[in-house]
Amino acid sequence: MNICIYGSSLSAWVAATCLAKVGHAVVIDEVMGDSKQAITDVSVIRDEPGLLTEVLCQIKEGRLSRRQQHSKVTADVHWLALQPNEQQLAERVMDDLRLNGARVLVVNQCNFKVGATEGLQLSLGGGGDVVYMPDNLQEGLALQGFMQPSRIILGIDKKAAVDKTKAVLQAFTSDLDCLQLMSSREAEFTKFAITGMLALRIGYINELANLADLLQVDINIVQESMGADPRIGSHYLSPGCGFGGQNFDAYVQKFSGILQKERQQSLLKTVIEENEVQKELLFRKLWQHYQGKLTGKVVALWGASFKPGTGSIDNAPSIKIIDALISQGVQVNVHDPEALGHLINHYGQHPLINYSENHLTAVEGTDAVLLVTEWPIYKSPDYKRLVALMRVPLLIDGRNMLDKRQAKKNGFTYLGVGR
Amino acid sequence: MVSSIKAWVGLQSHAEEMQSIHLKNLFHPSEDRFGAFSFSFDHYLLDLSKQRITEETLSKLLLLAEQQGLAGWISKLFNGEKVNDSERRAALHSALRLPENATLCVDEQDVAQDVQASLLKMHGLVEQIQQAQWRGFDGSPIRCVVSIGVGGSSLGPLMACTALEQYTGADIRHLDVHFVSSMDGSELEKLLPNLDPATTLFIVASKSFTTVDTLANANTARQWLLSASHQSIDLINQHHFIAVTARPDQALTWGVPEKNQLLLWDWVGGRYSLWSVVGLPIALKIGMQNFREMLAGAHAMDEHFRDTPFEKNLPVLLALVSVWNINFLNIHAHAILPYDGRLSQLPAYLEQLEMESNGKSINRQGERIEYRTCPVLWGQVGSSAQHAFYQLLHQGTEPVMCDFIMAAMRYESEGEELKEQHQLSLANCLAQSRLLAIGESVSDSEEQQSNYKHYDGNQSSTTIMLDTLTPETFGGLIAMYEHKVFVQSVIWDINPFDQWGVEQGKKVASSLLAELRNGRNEVLDSSTNGLLRYVKSRQQRGVS
Repeated sequence: MNICIYGSSLSAWVAATCLAKVGHAVVIDEVMGDSKQAITDVSVIRDEPGLLTEVLCQIKEGRLSRRQQHSKVTADVHWLALQPNEQQLAERVMDDLRLNGARVLVVNQCNFKVGATEGLQLSLGGGGDVVYMPDNLQEGLALQGFMQPSRIILGIDKKAAVDKTKAVLQAFTSDLDCLQLMSSREAEFTKFAITGMLALRIGYINELANLADLLQVDINIVQESMGADPRIGSHYLSPGCGFGGQNFDAYVQKFSGILQKERQQSLLKTVIEENEVQKELLFRKLWQHYQGKLTGKVVALWGASFKPGTGSIDNAPSIKIIDALISQGVQVNVHDPEALGHLINHYGQHPLINYSENHLTAVEGTDAVLLVTEWPIYKSPDYKRLVALMRVPLLIDGRNMLDKRQAKKNGFTYLGVGR
Repeated sequence: MVSSIKAWVGLQSHAEEMQSIHLKNLFHPSEDRFGAFSFSFDHYLLDLSKQRITEETLSKLLLLAEQQGLAGWISKLFNGEKVNDSERRAALHSALRLPENATLCVDEQDVAQDVQASLLKMHGLVEQIQQAQWRGFDGSPIRCVVSIGVGGSSLGPLMACTALEQYTGADIRHLDVHFVSSMDGSELEKLLPNLDPATTLFIVASKSFTTVDTLANANTARQWLLSASHQSIDLINQHHFIAVTARPDQALTWGVPEKNQLLLWDWVGGRYSLWSVVGLPIALKIGMQNFREMLAGAHAMDEHFRDTPFEKNLPVLLALVSVWNINFLNIHAHAILPYDGRLSQLPAYLEQLEMESNGKSINRQGERIEYRTCPVLWGQVGSSAQHAFYQLLHQGTEPVMCDFIMAAMRYESEGEELKEQHQLSLANCLAQSRLLAIGESVSDSEEQQSNYKHYDGNQSSTTIMLDTLTPETFGGLIAMYEHKVFVQSVIWDINPFDQWGVEQGKKVASSLLAELRNGRNEVLDSSTNGLLRYVKSRQQRGVS
């Protein structure tokens, strides 16, 4: 099938690549993106493990191409992977398709709002069907998630569109345990509901962890026991110094906005606000340890991306922590296996920031190490060597990743999140 | 004495003729009275056509200004001469709003440069707080600022914050600003339980840093922080207090470190200080850019006042007409009536500005004077006052002069309902000033009405109209009143920049405090003694 993808987000590139990989002829219209920029420079592609290689491969084999300005595209399937705030662009695509007159299938993957797909259908008119398929993209695992989904939700309002949609997705649905069909409105709501639920869980466990800090309870023990209860389960139950990322954050914000508009107040609004506070947790622990006297201190930051497996620093706690540190006149040595390029773009050459290629060089002469992202490389440090390198052996572990007992045994002051 | 100079005597005999003429009779269908007696500059209109004046009145008043040497006094004021003679100080509030690159040398010191340095330090603190990088004792960013101050350290900033709240940018709306003044702790008692100690910063604003009211509140605030945080007093002082003062030594003794001090100078009078670092709460509320626009608006009014011929000079005309009302038409009450809820604090501000400045009865030569000076001044948002004291304005026995203040345009980007409310408010403002001036004949039917429905009219009023209320026009409006007060003081030959009348009460209070604490039984008057005994007996009974 000929498929045209609209968008320049990670979702757009993942969909384009995977659909090409299974044999569709795919054109990607980057809309607000720059279609002249070299693929190797597109950061959403570079940040996602494995994606760059796959995109280049599909382009080389001729199944994936980039739409250049005003070039004509004829496609049977139009796939919308735009940002949550780009609904107007989607409307414009619908207008163009309606004027073209050909009968098309439109797959909407955008998280605009509940009822947006119905609106797009109205704009498109009778010349085609618009269906909604929520994107379940997990940054860092995006390709795998698209190629081998564990479940797919489809929001389809007209029976006739069901078979067409299944035909497009046929390559991904063969091993599928679970395909759920519902109205587009219900599917849109489900997408928001799932995202919100995950945010609530993280918010709740963070709140418990902060309380555990005050009550001398180890949250890891509590968390394991909670997770063992089948009614709760262990996913999204790790306390930490805040969630970030482009998509997750944006969806939660969007959903919170909807809830607030319709119901005046929202649990999620509190979760978002508390998450912003949580992002500065490591800074506060450092501040309290040094009683507010931070000027002139040197601190190593381990990890800057919002989660391991990606170089993205969108809404990452590291940004808030670095901002707070440099405002207090603290020298920051930051290490991250993937994100240094983005950090340099964000801060430039700053007198208080050193970008370290090596996580051990970063800790030399420091008054604390702040572990922000749980990259595997930080998991089992040589504590004896660390002690020797640092000026003050203080570990502040924002992901409860380090071995607290080992650290203490080697003379560290260890501060975790709730332990 | 001014009351014996020629221009004054001339005005007295002119007033005898004018006393018998009803204001409504000054309006002739063939004449454009509004055109003749309204004056505009920039974004401001000053309408004096509802004052009981004629061309002759104005020219006689201008002559009085000339004979009192107003021009000379204006240049003394702006040049930094010691116009506050009883305290041997200049009164350089105009220097506080000079443009950034200006210079003004007074006693071989460039005060303009000092002002900019002080504003720059304030700018740094404002940015740190607004960017959520000023940290409380546990490292959380400050989200709430409580300004502790009284009189000039409170009225101006409170008024400006209330007036200009809409100019708070979206990026700084997370910051709450509160004001605390009252000596008895009433405001703190109500406020503190709703605040988070870790994210609350206190500004302690006191020129002398000895003001009892302010220090009492500051001590209560600090104790609250100490109890909540279990931290050292040093840490709390470092992270939760900013001092705004002319006495850095006193502030340091109380505990505020140098890095948290913002300085002003003894040539800034308290009631003229909102333009200085005393304006910190304003800058926090509306941003430094808007604060600077407020200064620029005031500066434009300064230049207008300094450079414009008196017959077109808004502050001069405003002052001269009030002198006419007070000294020649015997009107001794002055109502301030903004028809704009944003200016709700303006009456309280002007009460201090006018009454503390010109509530004097000794002239610059130290002689007791025999003419009236500042009238009793009060006010309220006009539309609310209509339901309160307008009855007296319309049908009471007191002659009262009124200032009606409004903005021509508002809610330009809001919905129709709010725009309609603005029109409603304007209509009421114009209706009231018209009815006060013209009286019952405003009604279309000329039929005889019963006495209690009778409106005499003949109450003078001034209308001050701004195009819109912005930081800039707000600054200009306040500067206009400041200069008006100065012009009055020149006519009355009094010093508007001291306030000896508020000093003695503080001393008596401290001796009575000792009396309440230990009952030393000083020889007091029987009334005060009786009251003291009564308080003590009640308090003892309360304890038992």
